[in-house]
Amino acid sequence: MGTIVESMANCSISTQDRVIAPSNQIQIFQLIVTIESANIKNSGGLIKPHPYVELIVDDCKRNKTEVIKNTYQPKWNEEFTVLVTPYSILHYRVLDYCKFQKDVLIAEKNISLYDILCNYNGVCDNLELTIDLIRTRHHDHQASSSSSSNNLVKVGELITILHGFQIDISQVLNPSRESSSSINHRQGLSNGDFSNGVRARSRTSTRAAVASSIPAIDMNASNHLVNNALTNNIRTSQNPSSHNNSAEGTITVHHQSGPVTLPIEEPLPAGWEMRFDSFERQYYVDHNTKSTSWERPQPLPAGWELRRDNRGRIYYVDHNTRTTTWQRPNMERLQHYQHWQGERAHVVQQGNQRFLYPQHALGTGSGPNSRQITVPPTPVVEEEPLPSGWEKRIQPDGRNYFVNHKSRITQWEDPRTQGTEVIIDNSDLPTGWEVRKTTDGIRYFVDHNTHTTTFEDPRIHVPPIQCSAGPYGVPAAYERSFRWKLSQFRYLCQSNAISSHIKITVSRQTLFEDSYHQIMRSAAYEMRKRLYIVFRGEEGLDYGGVSREWFFLLSHEVLNPMYCLFEYANKNNYSLQINPASYVNPDHLLYFKFIGRFIAMALYHGRFIYSGFTMPFYKRMLRKKLNMKDIESIDPEFYNSLVWISENNLEESDIEMYFGVDFEVLGQVVHHELIENGDKVKVTDANKEEYIKLMTEWRMSRGIEEQTQALLDGFNEVVALEWLKYFDERELELMLCGMQEIDVEDWQQHTIYRHYNRTSKQINWFWQFVKQADNEKRARLLQFVTGTCRVPVGGFAELMGSNGAQRFCIEKVGKETWLPRSHTCFNRLDLPPYKSYDQLVEKLNYAIEETEGFSQE
Amino acid sequence: MAATRRLQKELADIRDSGLKSFRDIQVDETNILAWQGLILPENPPYNKGAFRIEINFPAEYPFKPPKINFKTKIYHPNIDEKGQVCLPIISAENWKPATKADQVIQALIALVNDPEPEHPLRAELAEEYLKDRKKFFKNAEDYAKKFGEKRPSD
Repeated sequence: MGTIVESMANCSISTQDRVIAPSNQIQIFQLIVTIESANIKNSGGLIKPHPYVELIVDDCKRNKTEVIKNTYQPKWNEEFTVLVTPYSILHYRVLDYCKFQKDVLIAEKNISLYDILCNYNGVCDNLELTIDLIRTRHHDHQASSSSSSNNLVKVGELITILHGFQIDISQVLNPSRESSSSINHRQGLSNGDFSNGVRARSRTSTRAAVASSIPAIDMNASNHLVNNALTNNIRTSQNPSSHNNSAEGTITVHHQSGPVTLPIEEPLPAGWEMRFDSFERQYYVDHNTKSTSWERPQPLPAGWELRRDNRGRIYYVDHNTRTTTWQRPNMERLQHYQHWQGERAHVVQQGNQRFLYPQHALGTGSGPNSRQITVPPTPVVEEEPLPSGWEKRIQPDGRNYFVNHKSRITQWEDPRTQGTEVIIDNSDLPTGWEVRKTTDGIRYFVDHNTHTTTFEDPRIHVPPIQCSAGPYGVPAAYERSFRWKLSQFRYLCQSNAISSHIKITVSRQTLFEDSYHQIMRSAAYEMRKRLYIVFRGEEGLDYGGVSREWFFLLSHEVLNPMYCLFEYANKNNYSLQINPASYVNPDHLLYFKFIGRFIAMALYHGRFIYSGFTMPFYKRMLRKKLNMKDIESIDPEFYNSLVWISENNLEESDIEMYFGVDFEVLGQVVHHELIENGDKVKVTDANKEEYIKLMTEWRMSRGIEEQTQALLDGFNEVVALEWLKYFDERELELMLCGMQEIDVEDWQQHTIYRHYNRTSKQINWFWQFVKQADNEKRARLLQFVTGTCRVPVGGFAELMGSNGAQRFCIEKVGKETWLPRSHTCFNRLDLPPYKSYDQLVEKLNYAIEETEGFSQE
Repeated sequence: MAATRRLQKELADIRDSGLKSFRDIQVDETNILAWQGLILPENPPYNKGAFRIEINFPAEYPFKPPKINFKTKIYHPNIDEKGQVCLPIISAENWKPATKADQVIQALIALVNDPEPEHPLRAELAEEYLKDRKKFFKNAEDYAKKFGEKRPSD
């Protein structure tokens, strides 16, 4: 790293050499340079060149165009945004790309920006420069300064455009001629004189329209920047960038305080390191992708800029969108961002398409009055402490009730047993049967008569009339229905509603910021008041439509990849997980708390959010234990290694692993011991079960524990997490994201088959089943196979898996006695060759409704 | 460090075994996750030079496989211009935590010695390899002479 500092120092020294700036302050500006085209003279050679252009500003930052193959008339039309001072030298080098040897310099030229500014009154606005490409007869350009000009030949012309730069030229001191000519000499500049070999004209007509769409970096518009929410603490509203200092209309980034801090060569991105090989050659290690390269990591994308806030922290400004982010943008993140932005157009439309059961259509037994009577006193093991924040109280009539002081909720139900199936007694089972639970908490049944076990409840086959009542006094089968669970949840919401309303006024441009401030400023329980959302400038009554839109827009906003709060799980675009790198955002825990409140509000008010989370995340919300299988959906490689360890003999393979693990986030390796002194405990066949258990827990929580906790805390302040216990993780997704009308024809059309074909009878039965199913069932089937109930905006043709596009696939696997399985990473359903339609329906239903991991893979 | 301990052992084993075809192993004291070494293939046309490779182990090693990169340009159907190589043993599907760096290197040397034109990274070289072996050999040899490093004499 020492070398970088050194080279940066070199840069600034050489800049100071040639710049005599007032009060020791260098003003740095952005300049947009377009390298348009060139016309190279045919040198008579047989092979045409593969030209490209290098643009070097002040000997420091190198920008390269693409290589255009086999041509004397290359057209690049590439735009670079570079940082310049009024005294900058733009060094253009036209090179011929050679595959097997060093690229050949065709010609080069230095342009002094100061000369141009003088001629054009300090304005570079669509200024077209035609530059003569000059070369000495022998290619060596170092020699050119000493050789006479007779040896110089014009080999062509280069057309470039300077744009987006304006300065009050009277304020810019004339650099001493002496010093500038000495530079010219030092750099072997054949001609620093602007008029010689360089022709300029202002292009105004055609490009003007285009140009105006390139945002000038008017920092007065910064109140539109979402960054306020992200870079500023809510209480102290310090401005990291000096918004107010810039003069209207100029693109200036003044650094008023202290010495010049803007790096001309910026530091390496996080996770990158420069090293020297044994031949003292520089190379770069990218610890993020575990790769190395000879080239310095790519400069920031066009329109981006690196800055430091007043606490010295680095952040990045995207002048294209007028937003900021803490994490360095790279191609992948920009793609995610573009994808995210592309969704915007559909967000509101999608929001209007989502639905769940309307509240009045829910089970009729759910009215507050009837509910209070039907709730039986639930048997509770008294020793188990109540979850934090809860207190048990007794009414004057002796009846117990429960108070949550955090969220100011009261209810009859005991939060410890709420929503859990309490039918663990064997009373209504056939004789000789017993209920047990697997280590993962899955219920199964032992038939001691036949010495067999099954996951299938033998009571399900009993006709409903004889079916015993569950703990809530309604038939057990009904209790498992999603509608019934929803009505329970809605009842709890209604009975804890708070009178009057809460008004949240937001402007569309600063949705995140406005919402954040207003939601975090109020007491959490107030979020249970009736919502009254106002979009500034669109005042009207909120009868539901406005708040529906607000939930949808804000949920989409929160997932903006540039906020670094969430990331797409396993490279596909559907499910989000907390980004372990979110800590780069200094206020991230506050934001997660806010998001927790927001999600709770969505559930409480029966609204939907745009994009859902991973199944393991929902399980975590439900405080369910995560198992090894859960890792598969977020990190299949890691999962495969765990499976290998569990299935193979470790003594034979000399695996040399210990109860200590590492992981890397933003280039930093974090070490963790799974048990005390774990680094000294070797993994063996005897202890590997424990190892796998601990690894699973760690893998699912590493780097995101604090964030998750903050989110859940925020949630719990509005809605008690215990209320969710009625649901499983899939139902939670349905509740949070809503369902949408699923186009079965589109689905069928974009489905592929393995070992089946379109006309196989099982396939016909499958589609018959889908067509007869209601929307909830279709959504659940889709969720079972793809991991989410949502269909991509573009329909089934755009379904994604962990390796890019992955169509819905049905594969023939197994025997008719097997249950269907699914592989959510690949959107694949393993459908055994069932013998009849009825059998297929029964097995599919079973897999969809009852599955808790065991039939899903 | 979890990966460190295992890698130290693996490195010591490799150094002790004195491989003829993998030499000059260099590992940064401060970062055992990055190795470099010279590959000395036995088969023509690659036996004219030595090829420097870099092996990068992830922090999660051996839960995740290492990555291999050629630092020396090589004319080979399974190694691309950037030095990336497609080696099944370290692919996501095939990786096992018990696979050792030693086995990975052996597999790599075998691939360099005997190209697999049926799974090419550079289709044009694979085609040449299949259609005009002589020309391919000549190109590969020229390349090895031009870009390859000197083979240690002992």
